[in-house]
Amino acid sequence: MGMSFGRYVAYRLVNAVIILFLAVLLMSALFTKLATIQLTSQVDEEVQMWVRGYTQQHHQQPTQEMIEKYREARIKYYRLDQPYWKRMWMYTIDTFFFRWGNSFVKVFGTTDIVSQIKTALARTVLLFTTSQIFIILIGLSLGLKSARHPGSLLDRTISILAMIASSLPMWWVGMLMILLFVVYLGWLPITLYSQVEVSGWINILKKMSLPVLTIVLVSFGGWAWTTRNIMIGTMQEDFIMVARAKGVPERKIIYGHALKAAAPPIITMVIFGLIGSLGGAIITEIVFNWPGMGRLYYEALQLNAVRTMMALNYMFAVLTVLSMVLADILYGYLDPRIRIGAAARS
Amino acid sequence: MRWVDFKDSVKRFWSEYKHQKSGMLGLIFLIILLVLGIGAPYITSPDIPKQWQTGEAWIVNPKNAPPSWENAFSDQKLADQKVYTIHDMNVAESKNGSYKVYTLTFTYNMNYDVPPKDIVITGLNSNASRPQDNPLVSVYVERPEEQGVTVEKFLLLPDTQLPSKGVLQLSYLKEVKTLLFYWLYQNGIIQLPMAPPEALPMEIKLMQINQQIQLDSKLYGYFQSMDPMKVLFGSLTENGQLRTLEQVISEPVALQGDYKFTIVVKAPENVKVDLSNFEVAMVGRTFGLLGTDQYGRPIAVGLLWGIRVAIAIGLAVSISSVVIGILIGVTSAYLGGWADEVIQRITEFFMTLPVLPMLILLSLYFGGRITLKQLVLILVLFGWMGTTKVARSMALQIKEQTYIEAARALGASTGRIVFRHIVPQLLPYAFASIALSVPGAILSEAGLSFLGLTSNNMITWGQMLNAAQQNGATLNGYWWQVIPPGLAIAFVGLIFVLIGVSLDTVLNPKLKRA
Repeated sequence: MGMSFGRYVAYRLVNAVIILFLAVLLMSALFTKLATIQLTSQVDEEVQMWVRGYTQQHHQQPTQEMIEKYREARIKYYRLDQPYWKRMWMYTIDTFFFRWGNSFVKVFGTTDIVSQIKTALARTVLLFTTSQIFIILIGLSLGLKSARHPGSLLDRTISILAMIASSLPMWWVGMLMILLFVVYLGWLPITLYSQVEVSGWINILKKMSLPVLTIVLVSFGGWAWTTRNIMIGTMQEDFIMVARAKGVPERKIIYGHALKAAAPPIITMVIFGLIGSLGGAIITEIVFNWPGMGRLYYEALQLNAVRTMMALNYMFAVLTVLSMVLADILYGYLDPRIRIGAAARS
Repeated sequence: MRWVDFKDSVKRFWSEYKHQKSGMLGLIFLIILLVLGIGAPYITSPDIPKQWQTGEAWIVNPKNAPPSWENAFSDQKLADQKVYTIHDMNVAESKNGSYKVYTLTFTYNMNYDVPPKDIVITGLNSNASRPQDNPLVSVYVERPEEQGVTVEKFLLLPDTQLPSKGVLQLSYLKEVKTLLFYWLYQNGIIQLPMAPPEALPMEIKLMQINQQIQLDSKLYGYFQSMDPMKVLFGSLTENGQLRTLEQVISEPVALQGDYKFTIVVKAPENVKVDLSNFEVAMVGRTFGLLGTDQYGRPIAVGLLWGIRVAIAIGLAVSISSVVIGILIGVTSAYLGGWADEVIQRITEFFMTLPVLPMLILLSLYFGGRITLKQLVLILVLFGWMGTTKVARSMALQIKEQTYIEAARALGASTGRIVFRHIVPQLLPYAFASIALSVPGAILSEAGLSFLGLTSNNMITWGQMLNAAQQNGATLNGYWWQVIPPGLAIAFVGLIFVLIGVSLDTVLNPKLKRA
């Protein structure tokens, strides 16, 4: 009793939107507390400024009554007079519909959060999607190769590499890369990584080289290993045995029969990887001073720009949910058995 | 399960695990690590965690110094850290009027191409209540014989007050510089317009020399730019000829040999002086096994103490999250129906949240700098979902087996069925996934520490890397601040991956066939 593909997609999408909304609700609940602390001190600051301005203009201090009146107006403006749950709810709705507003401090040269994130996202896409494409190409081809000869030198090397890479912090490998290529070998100028902004395409490409190398180096082993495992699992299935028994050449078995059957999980992996890469690796960007989402997060953290952080959190959640839904939908398209499962559950 | 059965199964497990080469390697490394972690207070000193942030303890250490074994790979030997305690010195007590006088002597063998960075005197404790009662310290030095140099023994530091718990850093003291200039004058390397009469008291003599240096702009330039230690430990002659002032200050050549130091401590009779902590440090240009960071903290000591937090966090987080994950997963599978549905939706919800941003958010919520306990709590909160998914699917299979039905037919309670029949079957999986999730927890801790979000009250490798990043260690080429902490993180991760994979192979019969 499967459901139609269209219904399946709709079901998944609705599910995703609900999950995303709940996630924003939870984050808002946490963030509203942080925002309250910040807004309270913001109000104090604005009142002080107003008093100073008034005194300069009128050559006398405003009365206590006037100060209180102004303070109340500011409190109302920042909705601090509203109860916690109401502010949380409004914040959730605003965040959910991308009405992010302005941050109190300039990050990436602007207080408009939408443009902060636009700038950062574009740069993160550039860096991480490029790396991800390399990873997919290298990982898949090496994985397929080692699946053809399990137990070979290549196969064992990849397993060990994947094992080691999974326990390495990517950002630490990044630090090593800078030490090696910038400081000791001097192949790249130090200014590329000591500054955040770099101008000119050539310089941007140069600046990209080390982070891309780092990300690929840390990630391709795991990819190759997973591909290998999926392929080896598929190779043990009955239909492969049958094909072998029939005398189909090994090459054809691998690239024809097995790869076809292994495609859904591998394609899912590719989607996950590509969209997951959009979030960037927060700390790796900090190490390389790469002005993307991670670096933006770090600067927002340093400057206590809580609204920017909230918007970023939302973006990270959107990306995660999006990749899950896309993977689900793709999986459902490629492997109709999944849809039956979803139907049985709903 | 009876005790005999348990013992038997442990024995069987061990005999199989023994044959896992990588597993045994991991186990040996783990034991070494545990021994080092537990032994940290005995290998170093138990109050390291208290001193780590305050910095007082590291004042005698050089900052950003590379490890001393780096000398073996370079043609220029840099002076290593050397600390003289009271036990390394010859102590003589005497009396001079109403003063007690302690004369401390020791010999420093300077056999490097680049001399020490500084000489630091600390640990002179007294019960002086008024500043004028503080003990006075003066230092004399006798250099190795050098042909053509007439004055080999001279005063380096005139009577200088040292309050209790105070520190004297000789390189930074103007008096030391002035006295070195006076000594250069005595040996004929510089000319002073007016000879300071020998008979004058030291203070006045110093003042006179200072005035003359300040009036002569060239001399004053040299005075400002000189590295006192390079002059103190430098040659004054070249091929039997006196060097010029320019050469002595700008192109110092180390004079190797034995330097005899005499430290005289004078204190009024009514003041009690405690010399038991007295230390003179020849501050090195290299330091110990793994060098120092920007605060002078030894990297090796931090590395050793970091083991404790890494293992504690890794184990606490992985055990708690796997146990919680299994319990939730099994409950979900066993209950079925809408309860299962609700639990699964919640699990998926948690899986959807982006982990690092959520961790950052929660640590901010907890007040910016989170403690060890809060950290464990947060990491568990975001770490149980994977186990739940697997445990649920495994429990669903087990649930359908006939002996469970039989147990239920016999009237066994839900709790009994879950804990006696289902959970024990999941144990092998649990052990493997505990081991495999340790690296993740350690990496998360390191990440949060790197961002400066964890409490300063612990020594962690992530915080050491954070300090390195703050210090620009990568761009400055301070490799010893970057490589060891990261390697330690990777090493612990690798140990648990080795153990986890081996456990998986031994305990999961399905994998054995593959």
